[in-house]
Amino acid sequence: MSTLTVDDVSKYYGDVTAVEDLSFEIEDEFAVLLGESGAGKSTLLRCINGLASPSEGEIRLNGEPVNSSQADIGMIFQQHNLVDGVSAYVNALNGGLNRTSTLRSLFQWQSREAKEQSLEALQTVGLLDEAHQTVSQMSGGQQQRVGIARALVQNPRLLLADEPVASLDPSSAETVMTYLKKAAVEHDVTALVSLHQVNIAAYFGERFIGLRDGHKLFDVERDGLTADLIDDLYGDVETVGLSDSRQGDDELDPEAVGEMVEQRVES
Amino acid sequence: MSQGRDDGNPITTYFGLSEIGGSPVEQKLTELKRRKTKRRLYTLLGIIFGGALFLFSLGAVGFSLGELVKQWPQFIDALGGYFPPGTLFGVIPFVDIGQYWEFMIDAGLIFEFETGAGGIFGPLYGQEVVGPGAMFITLAIAFAGTVLGVPLALILSVMASERVVPYPFNFGFRAVMSVIRSIPALVWVLILIPLGGVGSFTATLAVAIDTVGYLGRLLTDELEEISEGPIEGIRSVGASKSQIVSFGMLSQVFREFIAWLAFDLEHNVRVAIGLGIIGAGGLGLELNIQRRTFNYTEMMACILLILVLVGSVEYLSQRVRSYLREGDEVETESIVTILIKAPKRIISATAGRGRE
Repeated sequence: MSTLTVDDVSKYYGDVTAVEDLSFEIEDEFAVLLGESGAGKSTLLRCINGLASPSEGEIRLNGEPVNSSQADIGMIFQQHNLVDGVSAYVNALNGGLNRTSTLRSLFQWQSREAKEQSLEALQTVGLLDEAHQTVSQMSGGQQQRVGIARALVQNPRLLLADEPVASLDPSSAETVMTYLKKAAVEHDVTALVSLHQVNIAAYFGERFIGLRDGHKLFDVERDGLTADLIDDLYGDVETVGLSDSRQGDDELDPEAVGEMVEQRVES
Repeated sequence: MSQGRDDGNPITTYFGLSEIGGSPVEQKLTELKRRKTKRRLYTLLGIIFGGALFLFSLGAVGFSLGELVKQWPQFIDALGGYFPPGTLFGVIPFVDIGQYWEFMIDAGLIFEFETGAGGIFGPLYGQEVVGPGAMFITLAIAFAGTVLGVPLALILSVMASERVVPYPFNFGFRAVMSVIRSIPALVWVLILIPLGGVGSFTATLAVAIDTVGYLGRLLTDELEEISEGPIEGIRSVGASKSQIVSFGMLSQVFREFIAWLAFDLEHNVRVAIGLGIIGAGGLGLELNIQRRTFNYTEMMACILLILVLVGSVEYLSQRVRSYLREGDEVETESIVTILIKAPKRIISATAGRGRE
């Protein structure tokens, strides 16, 4: 049970406004940030994570302000940001660095509990058998799943993902999103995921926040996500497939997502 | 095309010095010719200056062909010493390898021997081996020096990175390494003599300092090129600063670090031989002793061992580096294949036309 509060947050880079007067609150749900490139999604996530600090406003997790990167906020990056030369297991283990002294972590003297937790996290994302593999030899989708495992090892109360599937092919994207949602549901954490594929968002999301030029354009539940809203967000683009995907039920059905994604690609 | 036109003086036209033509193309052509003339002038000046400097240098070092001719017979005599004539299987004329070998054993170049003493390595050639010889002393200087230098090289290279120490201050650490590098290891030994005396101990210290300068610099360069992603990834899990350095930064350059370490060990073996010549022990010392007494055959025995030592360390270091370059693919070529393919590879590396 955790609540993320974004309270009147603005972020400026010199004269450029990345995010302005943004406020919302999410609680125990799988929320999706929608918007074009440059809409401010990444900036917002970096502020929430503490990798950047907001120029104005405040971000709170369960009422406590977030000032710097902390273990209870797990972050999944578009380029996964793993350490390439080492195994998936060591990367997952890195998620627990916050709970380990430097000396112990250097020699991998983590507790048995931490080691088991890392392997369990890899099991959650379906990579237990590949735990020993060097991540640079894994596919993009597998690397992203290792990224999810690393975030899980942090014991997060909030899971953030910045375009986790933007650089993946449709079928890997679907797999990664399925595992991401599974991880969030199993570990009972609030999640905020930025996506630009509307159909994927519509299938996995429970709550939708649309950003345009750094401002909030809409904040709706699944029922409220209409084609008109999407048109407003992206301008005049095709939204074929959206109506189909919105009929999907809450159960994870990779096949349905696959079909939907293919339709989208074909259109 | 220009034949029918009055182009003025052909020489000034060639050098682009005359104003001709009004069209943009003709103007550009003249301009290009002028640039070329300018470039030629600079090249000419460069050649004249370089030539003058060369002649001056020859004069300064007293270079004289007459001297070479005069000394030639003496050198031929020495060659007879370097390569003592003998026979192979009693018939084929060849260098008398036995003389080299005898000296290597007598002088303890490979192992130290003692007659009848209870040695640690057991009996060899009817004598007891009591310890490592000059060859291993040289290797020990290089190896111990490298290992001693690594921690400081690591610390300095991390501190020299802008990501760890903010901009103007990181240059302080770079400067330290730069100063270390500008003083050759040979000079470091001289500086350190009051501390450790003339011998292998001081040489090891000098090699360690040299390693800090060189390995530190190489690592600094590697750390410049790491990507921000993994650092950010480690930062996002709430890791401490020292964890970000070790897991986000150093883990990215681990392979490169091992490769440079192997390269530096190779470099340090050569340094250790040089240090031996000025009294630090090992093969270099033995070589210098034999030079002073004009024992050319013995000198060559030392040189042959130097070749063996440097060659094998270089071979090992290259194996390590190529293994790391190729990632996890295990090198399957045998030494023989490598030797057979070597000329082709050298040619393809230099000419860039090799195909495999």
